[in-house]
Amino acid sequence: MAALHLEKVTKIYRKGENEVRALDGVDLDIEAGEFLTLVGPSGSGKTTFLNILGCLDSPTEGTIVYDGTELHSLGEKGLSAYRRDRISFVFQSYNLIPVLTVRENVELSLVIEKKLKAPEIRERSREMIAAVGLEGKEKRYPRELSGGQEQRVAIARALVKNPLVVLADEPTANLDSHTAEDIVELMRRINAERGTTFVFSTHDRLVMEHARRIVTIRDGRVTGDESK
Amino acid sequence: MTMGTLWRIALRNTLRHKRRTIITAVVMMAGISVFIAFDSMLSGMDRMAVDNIAGYTVSSLTVRDPAYVEDIQASPLDKPLADPAAVLHALAEEGLKAAPRIRFVAKLSNYNDEIPLLAAAVDPEADSRVFALASSLSAGTWFADRAPKSVVLGSALAQELSVKVGDSVLVSAQTVNDTTNADEYSVVGLLDTPAPEVNRSGLFMPLAAARELLMANEAKGGFATEVDTALPREATLNATLAQGERVAAATRALLPGTRVDPIAFLARDYLALRTAKAKYSFVLVFIVLVIAAVGIVNTILMSVYSRVREIGVLRAYGMTRGDISRLFTLEGLALGIVGSTLGLGLGAFFDYLLIAHGINLDPYSGSMGSLPLSGVLRGEWNLRTMAIGFVFGVTVSLVAALIPARKAAKLEPTDALRFV
Repeated sequence: MAALHLEKVTKIYRKGENEVRALDGVDLDIEAGEFLTLVGPSGSGKTTFLNILGCLDSPTEGTIVYDGTELHSLGEKGLSAYRRDRISFVFQSYNLIPVLTVRENVELSLVIEKKLKAPEIRERSREMIAAVGLEGKEKRYPRELSGGQEQRVAIARALVKNPLVVLADEPTANLDSHTAEDIVELMRRINAERGTTFVFSTHDRLVMEHARRIVTIRDGRVTGDESK
Repeated sequence: MTMGTLWRIALRNTLRHKRRTIITAVVMMAGISVFIAFDSMLSGMDRMAVDNIAGYTVSSLTVRDPAYVEDIQASPLDKPLADPAAVLHALAEEGLKAAPRIRFVAKLSNYNDEIPLLAAAVDPEADSRVFALASSLSAGTWFADRAPKSVVLGSALAQELSVKVGDSVLVSAQTVNDTTNADEYSVVGLLDTPAPEVNRSGLFMPLAAARELLMANEAKGGFATEVDTALPREATLNATLAQGERVAAATRALLPGTRVDPIAFLARDYLALRTAKAKYSFVLVFIVLVIAAVGIVNTILMSVYSRVREIGVLRAYGMTRGDISRLFTLEGLALGIVGSTLGLGLGAFFDYLLIAHGINLDPYSGSMGSLPLSGVLRGEWNLRTMAIGFVFGVTVSLVAALIPARKAAKLEPTDALRFV
């Protein structure tokens, strides 16, 4: 069975009397360890798709099964717990916590998870910071880092808890092409070494070139699904 | 999420927006320090007033006949203390300084004008150990053996009758036999005390002269309507009141059949005013802290609005609504603790200034009315008030933070992440 199974997922936003179908009957299976890219024009439903995959939003219709768990069966607290334990996010504008250092930002997801003791959290985050090439910058604050370094911290924060899936919404959109290539290489390497599942939304050709599977979304529907 | 991490984020965010934090903390600091200083000043005024009442008018503890106290408005001479000498002896045995007095209704005349008043007959030597009148003379002396028919008057009273030291006055009064008697006395001293009542209507004469005037020489143990007692000065007003109650209870056991009243009863009219004043001071600080609370709500709301995306990220990483609410509540708490601690520090500094240097009330003595206040007003340390100010400040901050904290917790993660 697929790690993530989406069946007839529909998301309708209502604004007054208007109805917008952001997703319209999406069927998709995502296997563990995939490096999948979502492409499509702006407003096609990519971000809505990621939000629903990330349990930040719920579908109007359809079912999503995560590693054997049907999301409809989870309440508000259950969804929070699921996000905490199984899902990580990488955002376009990094979204690091400005008052926390690099180390504290990376530790944050483990602290929220509350599964490990402080020394283990410290060791795990140290390893992850090293894996993204930021040794020696543990005590710096986000304002003291470049955009590429901030995104590396965001990736370390996303990966440190060994999530089922990392969801990245346009992770290279704010980076120059050289830094973007570094970041994509980094995620590709982590995908290969750790088997972490990555799902991106992107307009970036570079990201598309590295992807092993490209899913095209248009007007809320999956119009293409190509594996390399 | 652990409280340690929540605290760390809350504290750092508080420090991150220094200007907002400083403004809010300063408002709280002002409110709490004014409350502490105001209370210290009021306590000092109360202390000064009660000290003056005890030292110049009624003493710290008075022993009288129960029937006399019931009919006190008439100052009845037919209800004197049964055996003043025995009372004085018993109090002396306890190591207390005591003096007998006769309070009687009299009329004082300069042969042209006449003023009715409540006179006091005193044992000049013993009385000066209980009251501070002998050291408050603006002219003349505190009685002398060679002039038994003498009186000491309040300076304002003397001025009203246009008499001075050396002049003669006529004093008339109802005797114990219900007849009227009058005699001429020489003015030997004028009093200028911190108690306006004494200055305006104080008429003092030696016991022997008064007994003769009142025809009251036959009583056992010497005729007196009361025995007044001085107690050692305590550090605070509350300690003074407690000491009075304690000694009164012991004296009642020692002198059955008498009525023993401590300063809490003797100065009850003034102390009732004190309770009303305390309420006003609390209303004042409440208003200031409500203003501070509005500042805190505003500060935390601004913090919420400037960190909407951050809230979205924290929710995306699994923080519950409760965690988000706690995070912003802790920010309010941190602000409250900082503001209240600063307020406590500044309040203590004001207290120190009031206690060490005080405020000289003499330039304002004309506007004090009948309040027994003059000289240097000094504040009093009051740990209870400090604790109330601190706890109240922190509680107000905590309650004020709940509104924005709930608002933050209600944000949907998708809306928060979209926020620019």
